[in-house]
Parts: sequence; structure tokens; C-alpha cells
Amino acid sequence: MEKRNRNATIAWLVVSFAVFIVMIGLGITMRLAQGLRIEIPPNTFYALMTMHGLGMAGGLFAGALSIIWYIISRTCKVSLAVSWFSWVLFLIGAVALLYATLIGGFGPGWYALYPLPFINAAWPSWATGVAIIALLIMGVSWLLYQLDMLRAMAAQYGASRLLAWEYIAGKKPAEPLPAVILIASMCAIAGALGTLSGAVTLILYLLKWISPGVSLDALLLKNTMFMFGHVIVNVCIYCGLCAVYHLMPKYSGRPWGVNRITAIAWNATLFFVLFAYFHHLYMDFAQNKALHIIGQITSYGSAIPATAVSLFGIASQVYKSGMKWRFTPTAFVLGGMGWAIGGVAAVVDSTIMVNSYFHNTLWVPAHFHTYFLVGYIFMFFGFLHDFFNSKAERFAISSFVGMLVGGYGFLSMFYLGGYYGVPRRYAAYTAIQVGDIANKGALFASLGALFAAVFLLSAIAFAISLFAGRSKATAEAVATT
Amino acid sequence: MLKIAGLVTLILDIILVLTTVFLMWSARKAVEHGNKPVYKVRAYYAPALIIALIAIFAFTITRMPYRALALTPPAATVKVTGHMWYWQFEQEGQPALGALPKGEVIEFAVTAADVNHGFGVFDPDGHIVGQTQAMPGYTNRVRMVLEKPGLYHVLCMEYCGLVHQAMIGFLTVE
Repeated sequence: MEKRNRNATIAWLVVSFAVFIVMIGLGITMRLAQGLRIEIPPNTFYALMTMHGLGMAGGLFAGALSIIWYIISRTCKVSLAVSWFSWVLFLIGAVALLYATLIGGFGPGWYALYPLPFINAAWPSWATGVAIIALLIMGVSWLLYQLDMLRAMAAQYGASRLLAWEYIAGKKPAEPLPAVILIASMCAIAGALGTLSGAVTLILYLLKWISPGVSLDALLLKNTMFMFGHVIVNVCIYCGLCAVYHLMPKYSGRPWGVNRITAIAWNATLFFVLFAYFHHLYMDFAQNKALHIIGQITSYGSAIPATAVSLFGIASQVYKSGMKWRFTPTAFVLGGMGWAIGGVAAVVDSTIMVNSYFHNTLWVPAHFHTYFLVGYIFMFFGFLHDFFNSKAERFAISSFVGMLVGGYGFLSMFYLGGYYGVPRRYAAYTAIQVGDIANKGALFASLGALFAAVFLLSAIAFAISLFAGRSKATAEAVATT
Repeated sequence: MLKIAGLVTLILDIILVLTTVFLMWSARKAVEHGNKPVYKVRAYYAPALIIALIAIFAFTITRMPYRALALTPPAATVKVTGHMWYWQFEQEGQPALGALPKGEVIEFAVTAADVNHGFGVFDPDGHIVGQTQAMPGYTNRVRMVLEKPGLYHVLCMEYCGLVHQAMIGFLTVE
């Protein structure tokens, strides 16, 4: 069973990694176009932008779910059939989405604000329909996958124990709850609720596509769409943290269990992640002001459990531990740092007063690229290195140096763009004739593309290190026998 | 505001990097129960963070843009409508939009005729003054004081389709 679970996990991980690499390619293409290094028409740019956003968010989320699936499969009876069925559904959805964007030109951006998918001059109606159906199929895939994980964990530990409420109540259970079960439960519950919010939005979109006369509320759909998007990208990072909680003790030799503070922190995180999305709507003045204030409170609140428990947890694993800096713990620690750096920029931008200036400037992609690229991805790669039992430590660490240089260089260009007020999601900055925004935007884009290329090459080198390490490990095993 | 936000971000990021380097450096030695100081630091860190966030919240929440300049009657009200892909301006009580008065409170009533747009006002030097979303079916009211005379550019700050990058409007301030 262990081998079959591994194979099912490999199928998800390979797809997720491949999607990540291809989507970086699309990202570099867009930054080169913004930097006036290549020329692509706006309709192509926006189709690439849409695919890049959906591909990154969806592909990485799928891979992240497979990490927690694999971790819990070691103690819980997860369904192999559900995993494979979800994987097939995900692939069908992904291929259909590629077709809708790259062939059909579907390009309303990854959060496809209503009614843009239905009022456009750039792509045919069928592309909108295919994209909606593709996203619905992917949503069903994620939902099945997450619900099966919840079922398996509830069957093993009891549904009432999954969120560690007994620890909050001050009881000491006879059988301790593993920290990864608490985090995986939180991820699956939040992820499923976020996915449901996306499904509701997409079903309404489908209705609109079938009956164009139907009129929907733009503000309501903005709320449901951002709840979906915000939740799944954050759950993705929490899945990465689940891998950190699971594997760091192996390298530090120190246990990392659940206690009352951990339990409170992860329950608080579940609450905050569901309601922090209101910060995406700060500039919608017509929205009830109370929701904006809730958005700032929950955004600030999410910084408390994240840093006081997870980051201090990593610190307590590392401090005077005698840990050898192999690839996996290095990637985990620096991934935690990247997550925190992205979090700082996010908390700054989640201040309503500041958001008046930063909203939809390049500061926004700066912060979310930070906690994805040098946060979650480092955790993901750390997990991959351990999962494949790679022995090519030096090779992997060398590639990691390239990823650090490329990653932070790339991100700095986004931050500088945001600081100077360069708007996000522009196919080109040439039409902006005020101040020096156009020149700065093009310069930062060109340099960003260069750094992203360094990251891309380093990530490919890392992938090669996994295979090189496997060959070496296999050779050593054969020599030993 | 942007300078403060950028500086705060930079300082906190430097602290994070230095802390990480210190932690990784500390791991060269193995000490049994060597992580106890981490928990001691956390005992101070968590309350300090909560107090800092409450203080920042209290300071900034009273400066929300929704209530900014609410007590001052606007010198002019401009109705703004976002279309794919141009801005339409109408000044209340005027046949056409003229120059807006410098240093006075201006109210913009912003909506959209088709899809979501973003109404972002940039001063003649290219600094963003303020913004709000333009959404079909809703009117977002935002008040600003345009301090510098000259030509202000209105950029679209919400992706709205094929010509989003060239959806630019102009306001003259005298």
C-alpha cells in the first residue's frame, strides 16, 4: 500500500512541478513584453496572464494537497481510488483550461471578475464556457480529494478530535494528536469551504453563459470569488507548513507536537483565513464598512498565530540543535523566512489607509509572489528532496543558491514597481505619460525577467538533482547488496 | 505614506533575514534543551506583537478613505463612469468638466457602464493620490484634495480587458 500511495503522490507532484515550470515560462514572457524586449499583442498577453494565474494557483494547490494526502496516508486509510479519480479530473480540467486560454484566448485574469468573462472583444464565447467548465471540473477534483482526507482522518482519530479542541479545553488525551493531523484537517476544512465558494461562483457563471439574459450582482460575485482565491492560495502555504512540521523533527532530532498554544493558533488561523479576504475589496467603497474593518482585523490577526507558533516553532527546531544544513531543512527554514517576508508586505498592504496607494500596483504581485516563490515553493522543494530520498546534496544546494538570487532579485523588481506606483496587469506601460512610471515599469520588468530566468534554470537544475540523487542512491544500494 | 510603508517593510525584512542567519548559525552546536530561550523570547514577542498591531490598527482605522474629508462640503462633485476603455467625466451643475480647484475637496462619484474598472488618480509628478473601484451597478464615492496644479492622469487600476493598459483619462487642476 505504501508503494501505491507513493505512486499516486508522485503523479500529483510531477504534474504540479511541471505546471510550475511552464507557468514560470509564461511569467517570463509577460515580463519581457512589459520590458519591451519582445512584442506580443495585448489579447495574447492577457490570455497568458490568465493561464499563468490559474495555472500557478491551481497547479500548486493540487500539489500541496497531495503533500498532506501523502503525510496522512502514513497513519490514515485514505482512498487510493479517490486520489487517482481526482487526479484524472484535475488533468482533464487543466487541459481544457489550457485549450480555452492558449487556443481560445480566454483572458479575464485569474479571478475573472464578473461580468468581464461575458463582455469582451478579445475571445469567443465558447472559450468562456470551456474555461468555466474546466474550472468546475478542477473544483470537483479538489473537493473530492479534500473530503476523502477529512473522512480518513475522522475515521482514524475521531471527527471531534481533528481540530485539537481537547487541548484547548486543557485536557491531556490518552493518545496524542499528531501536529500534521491538526494542520491537515485545518487545510482540508478551509480548502473545501473555499472550493465551495468558487463552485457557487462558477455555477452562477455557467448559468450566465447558458442564459446571457441573466443578470448577476458584481459585488456579491467579487466577494465569493475572492473568498475562493484567497483561501486556496493560503491553504497551499499551510500545506507546505504541514510538510515542515512533519519533516523538521527528523533533521533536528526534536519533537514537534500539539499543545494548547498550537491548537489555539491553528484554530485561529482557520477563522482568519476564511474572513481575511475582505482586504481584497477595500477599494469597493460601496461594500459595508464593517466588512472592511473585519478585513483589517483578520489580516492583522493572521500574523499572530503564523509567527508566534509556526515561525517560532521552526526557530525552536533549529536553535542550538546541531542540525546539519542539508537541502531539506535549509529549504524549510528559508521557506519560512520567505513566507514571513511576503507576510510583512501583505500585512502592510492590508492596512486600509496604505491600500489606498498600493491597491492593484505591483506591490500586490510582489507580496503574493514572495510567499509563493520563496516561501511555499521552497517548502515544496524541501519535501520533494526528502520524498525522493535524493543524495545529490551539493547539486541541490547549488541550485538553491541560484533560486535565492533569482527569486529575491525577481521579487525586488515587483516591490520597486509597487513603491513607484506602477499598476499591475498592464500588457505594456508605454501609454502611461505621467511621471516616470512607463520607464520604471519597463526597466523593472526587464530586470525581473532576467532574475526569473535565473530562478527557472535553477529550479530545473533542482529537478535534475532529484534524479541524479536517485541514481546515486540506487547505485549505492546495489553496491551494498 | 508610501515612504513609511516601504521603509517599515524593508526594516522588518532585514530583521527577519538577520534572525534567520543567526538561527542557522546557532545550530552549529547541539545543546540539549537548547531551544528553551526561543520559548522565553516568544513569551514576550506574542504580547508585544498584539499590542503593536492594536496600536497600528487604532491609528490607521481612523484615517480610512471612506470617511476622509466627510465633514467638509466638496467644492465640486464629479461623476465618473468607466467604459471599455475610456473615462467619462461629468461635473454636477456644469455643462462640461472644467478645471478643478486646487487645494479644495473634490468628490468623485465613480461607477462603471460595463465591467469593473479602477479609478486611480495620479498627480502631475506621477504619484498616486487615491483610488476606488468603478463597478457596474454601484457608485463608490471618494473625496480627494488635489494640491498641485497641472494635468492629473486617471489610470485604470482594475484589469478590464483588451485595452486596459491604455484606458487613461485627464483632469486639469488650477
